[in-house]
Amino acid sequence: MLSEGRLRALNDFIEKTSKEELIWINGYIAGLISSSGLKTSEAATSQKKFTILYGTDTGNSKKLALEFTAAAKKQGAKVKMAGMDTYRTEDLKQEKFLCIILSTHGDGDPPPSAKKFYDYLMDTSTWYPELEFAVLALGDTSYPYYCKAGDDVHQRFVALGANAVFPVQKCDVDYQDDANAWYQTYLNSFPVEAPKEALVPAKKVSHGKKWYTGIIQGNTNLNGHTSNKETHHIEIRTLEPILYEPGDSLGMIPKNKKSTVDRILQMVHIDPMLSVPYKGGGHTLLHLLTNVLNISFLKESQVQKYADLHEHEIPKIRMDLIDLVRLYPVLHANLFIEFITHLNEQTPRLYSICSSPRVREFEMHILVSKNTFTAMNEVKYGLASDQLSGFEESSSIDFYIHKNKSFRLPSPETDIIMIGPGTGIAPMRSFLEDRDAIGAEGKNWLLFGEQHFTSDFFYQTEIQQYASTGSLSRVDLAWSRDQKEKYYVQHRMLEKGKELYEWIQRGAHVYISGTRSPMSEDVEKAWIDIFYTHGGKSAPESEDFLNELKESGQYKADVY
Amino acid sequence: MSNQKSGEPNLTSVEKIKMKSDGLRGSLTDSLKDELTGALREDDQSLIKHHGMYQQDDRDLREERAQKKLEWLYSYMIRLRLPGGFLSPAQWIALHHIAGEHSTGVIKITTRQTIQLHGILKSHLKPTLKAFAIQRLDSIAACGDVNRNVICSAHPKQSRVHEEVFQYADKISTLALPKTNAYYEIWLDRESLTSKEEEKDPLYQDRYLPRKFKIAIAIPPNNDVDVYANDIGLIAVIENDKLLGFNLAIGGGLGATHGNKDTYPRLATVIGFLDTEEKILKAIYEVMTVQRDYGNRSDRKQARLKYTIDKMGIDQFKSQVEERCGFKFEPARDFQFEERTDYFGWHQNHEGKWYYTVFVENGRVADEKRSIKTALYEIAKTGKANFRFTANQKVILSDIEPGDKEAVNQILLDYDLIEHTEDASPIRRNAVACVAMNTCPLALAEGQRYLPALIGKIEPLLKKYKLLQDPISIRMTGCPNGCGRPYLAEIGLVGTSYGHYNLHLGGDRLGLRLNEKMYENVNEETILNILDPLLKKYAGSKKKYKSFGDFIHLNPALTPT
Ligand code: SRM
Ligand SMILES: Cc1cc2nc3c(=O)[nH]c(=O)nc-3n(C[C@H](O)[C@H](O)[C@H](O)COP(=O)(O)OP(=O)(O)OC[C@H]3O[C@@H](n4cnc5c(N)ncnc54)[C@H](O)[C@@H]3O)c2cc1C
Ligand SMILES: Cc1cc2nc3c(=O)[nH]c(=O)nc-3n(C[C@H](O)[C@H](O)[C@H](O)COP(=O)(O)O)c2cc1C
Ligand code: SF4
Repeated sequence: MLSEGRLRALNDFIEKTSKEELIWINGYIAGLISSSGLKTSEAATSQKKFTILYGTDTGNSKKLALEFTAAAKKQGAKVKMAGMDTYRTEDLKQEKFLCIILSTHGDGDPPPSAKKFYDYLMDTSTWYPELEFAVLALGDTSYPYYCKAGDDVHQRFVALGANAVFPVQKCDVDYQDDANAWYQTYLNSFPVEAPKEALVPAKKVSHGKKWYTGIIQGNTNLNGHTSNKETHHIEIRTLEPILYEPGDSLGMIPKNKKSTVDRILQMVHIDPMLSVPYKGGGHTLLHLLTNVLNISFLKESQVQKYADLHEHEIPKIRMDLIDLVRLYPVLHANLFIEFITHLNEQTPRLYSICSSPRVREFEMHILVSKNTFTAMNEVKYGLASDQLSGFEESSSIDFYIHKNKSFRLPSPETDIIMIGPGTGIAPMRSFLEDRDAIGAEGKNWLLFGEQHFTSDFFYQTEIQQYASTGSLSRVDLAWSRDQKEKYYVQHRMLEKGKELYEWIQRGAHVYISGTRSPMSEDVEKAWIDIFYTHGGKSAPESEDFLNELKESGQYKADVY
Repeated sequence: MSNQKSGEPNLTSVEKIKMKSDGLRGSLTDSLKDELTGALREDDQSLIKHHGMYQQDDRDLREERAQKKLEWLYSYMIRLRLPGGFLSPAQWIALHHIAGEHSTGVIKITTRQTIQLHGILKSHLKPTLKAFAIQRLDSIAACGDVNRNVICSAHPKQSRVHEEVFQYADKISTLALPKTNAYYEIWLDRESLTSKEEEKDPLYQDRYLPRKFKIAIAIPPNNDVDVYANDIGLIAVIENDKLLGFNLAIGGGLGATHGNKDTYPRLATVIGFLDTEEKILKAIYEVMTVQRDYGNRSDRKQARLKYTIDKMGIDQFKSQVEERCGFKFEPARDFQFEERTDYFGWHQNHEGKWYYTVFVENGRVADEKRSIKTALYEIAKTGKANFRFTANQKVILSDIEPGDKEAVNQILLDYDLIEHTEDASPIRRNAVACVAMNTCPLALAEGQRYLPALIGKIEPLLKKYKLLQDPISIRMTGCPNGCGRPYLAEIGLVGTSYGHYNLHLGGDRLGLRLNEKMYENVNEETILNILDPLLKKYAGSKKKYKSFGDFIHLNPALTPT
């Protein structure tokens, strides 16, 4: 925006001015601008795209970050906010404009939660010539090392080639006014950017499944350590932009456990490399048992098929192949070979994608609940969810996109009601991320539920951020085991029935995701009760009304 | 000296919060309703302190929860208001159940003779306070910029007039209670007063005090309450079993900040004697109003009475108080402190009632190595003993009729508490450590979770030099705020960073002389290497000195100045 010479002159001038003078000048210039003395092109503000990164211990820097994000969004800027405790330092490479808010603690140290980021910065030798940054340092003049952490970060970025938009702005304990004044100057300092071209248009997908390979970038169990559940947030980095829409799912086919397959092969005494015909293709027995066939919880008909072939008497129950072979030994190898040709292919498992393509081009997130059940009085885990939960970082995963045209976001100005208890929150997160990215004006209402507030509140910090920046206008929660009697989302819906009905009348679209039964059925009963009590409809009329909403596409479910 | 009411230029944000809080209500009701977070809104976090609660979080889990996209595990500490530290058996039973149902279950006895519970979730606050209210217990003004828990020499055997002196604690606490009805409305859902008139607060007005205010009452010769560490210290003057009145000392306070020389511990200064109850209460009231009007409200680190007095000068402050009282202080009467201790084991008072002081390490009543919590619960159920807390985090089973002593003693035996109390070394019995990790947000190092282990490494040294029966006072805090009164110990350990402490030596054993910071930022190994030779030399010259602290104080060459 400023030529090299004028920028250096400005910086020299700023170096020689005291903080009070700077604040006065800032106010003076802001006044000039607003009194249309100097016109900021409206276009300039809307093009802004920057990241606010905060490091806090007692919450002040985070509070400022939240206020600044909300303010920038109101001006149409695209702002990403992150805390240094969870920010991935690899992303620094892609940052163009970085606004850093950092306090100082201990004895001139960074806040503990910012230590990881601070140490990375101090050790790295990565060069950041593209980066334009500004540091707002919070501190307390009654400490000997006043705002030292902010200073350190500023000097370090300069040393790594990044260019500082301003000198460090230091704030004492009463930081609010200085911080606001500084932020105003920061917003006004943005260069005008040419509008970014539209995203890669979605190519038409050929009918055959297109398989992708992704790299696991993160795998975190979101449940607190006192929870009796394990629910993994898995981030997959893709080598190419993936064509999907919020509401779609990731499909994958789990491999059978190596230990199980080896045990079966031992018991049947057959050469794993033996080539076996299956559905027109030829595969080795090992490949078939590991990658192709479903060998768990075989249907009764398949168990009886095994019984006939091997002349065993087996009760009419479902069993895993490993138990079948162990309890009823194979008569002869080729009888076993013949049997497995009757087995089905492994059914793909679907996981709702919980990220938005508009926000994360080369990245997709899913939320996987580690399915646990008891069979033959032994605790067992669901095949795919156990495998996914165990994925290490940088291991690879093959997947495809399962489109769900009937679970799409409405137009941006339409209000939506999202009911997603448990892993049902996954598609809702994708919806929220998407609507937040494009600044959709439609109001968003989230209803979520799980067992315990302190350990099972999936994406709590993100939801808090959406609520405070206005992307989420209503949030209602139900914790089933935080009190003696069970309390689910449908109970909370009945309490908020009047307002829910008002939203429906104003054309709000309803989305339900999560376990089919009993949850989605109970939720439907609750809706019918709401139409009855607040819609002035009779019982049958209420039921019809729900069906009309379903047919018109105003009521959408993606339950499993 | 600023004389205007609150016209000071740059009031701290806490001052602004107090003034616009409509009698400490703020937006607490809304904060409680916000189900998205376990925390309170920003301003309410300071206001709730005045209701006797602190917002905290489990600091050990911050890192892990951030990765899980969960907010910090917020919970609340509740501190009861117990003037003089007294609970009936029924109140103890209620406390036992409330702790179990709503908190971590650990009942913490504090250095100001009251009780704290930790780990209470936001949704459990109202049920907890309502359960306490049934037992006529509350947490009003246990924290915040108001008069805190008034403490008093704990053991009734101290004097025949102990009961009369003990009554003052309640009188002073009631005198200085905020008038606002906020506590009853917000926490107990009681109807708000029709008129704001009844809530008018002549003492606190709408801004309360510039900072916390602490009052202690000591009965010589025992300074168990560390009377000089308080904003106001009352020293009972008793002659042939008659309470003549109190010497009044003002300006005590121990809090400090590392690296900030404008903050320092200060011992209260005796300014005179007063005989009647009316004068004593009036003098206390006016000391508070002068502090209210002249205390520093633009820098909380300079707001305590001790700084107001050091800026104004003690004589100027005293004459302001006398002017507002309308009477002068008489010259202070003679008095003598000869010990600072809790009377462990069985003792009788002049009425023949029995008292047993139980050793509860750092005041943590829990069922861990020993089932102290269950034992006290069983004793409470007999209804044969009241519960009095000492200013050194211990509990006295009190006012036991001679006929009931055996039953109480049997329960103590059943749970090995007799052995636990008698076998503990004198240094361990008198040790004090603050809470620090993992609930105190200001802790830089460990307190109660570490001192017992450190003492375990010091005891062999004492044994080596035959000093094991010498009740050396050792106190540890996780930061310089001084909650365990570390500056009034022979060995003071003040946390600087995890595993590191400033080592303070040279304090006396009675709380009459501050110790000095002699070694900075030292870890356990260095602490032991420093203490070993000093204890050895002290043992060698034991006859000449009354305490290890005096030995160090009178031999400056042995330690860096
Ligand atoms: C529980 C207790 C320590 C103990 O293990 O017994 C304690 C615990 C805390 N003190 Fe204290 N103080 C406790 C006695 C003291 C004492 C000793 C005394 O009063 O005899 C002092 C030194 C005397 C004084 O006040 O100067 C003390 C000076 C402080 C200070 C420094 C005040 C100052 O003037 O600078 C703070 C910090 C503050 O107020 O800003 C503090 C703050 C705190 C807080 C509330 C931390 C906070 O502000 O967030 C600690 C809560 C930790 C936790 O998780 O429980 N506490 N605190 C004591 C409770 C007393 C009570 O029941 O009312
Ligand atoms: C559109 C859609 C979206 C979905 N989104 C998500 C999501 O976002 N997150 C998520 O976690 N899940 C989601 N699911 C569910 C997911 O697809 C899987 O069904 C789930 O993870 C269980 O698969 P699994 O392989 O782990 O368990 P499986 O091994 O398939 O077992 C599943 C169940 O079968 C029974 N069973 C299996 N083996 C035996 C045995 N030997 N004996 C007795 N009983 C047995 C048990 O009841 C067990 O719970 C979605 C499903 C659909 C259709
Ligand atoms: C225990 C403690 C230590 C502190 N140390 C320093 C320091 O060394 N230098 C400084 O400038 N500020 C220091 N501060 C002041 C904080 O930086 C200041 O309160 C800031 O507003 C906190 O912002 P945050 O809430 O985002 O952490 C300290 C604060 C605390 C509580
Ligand atoms: S001394 Fe410091 S660390 Fe210990 S309880 Fe007090 S404030 Fe917390």
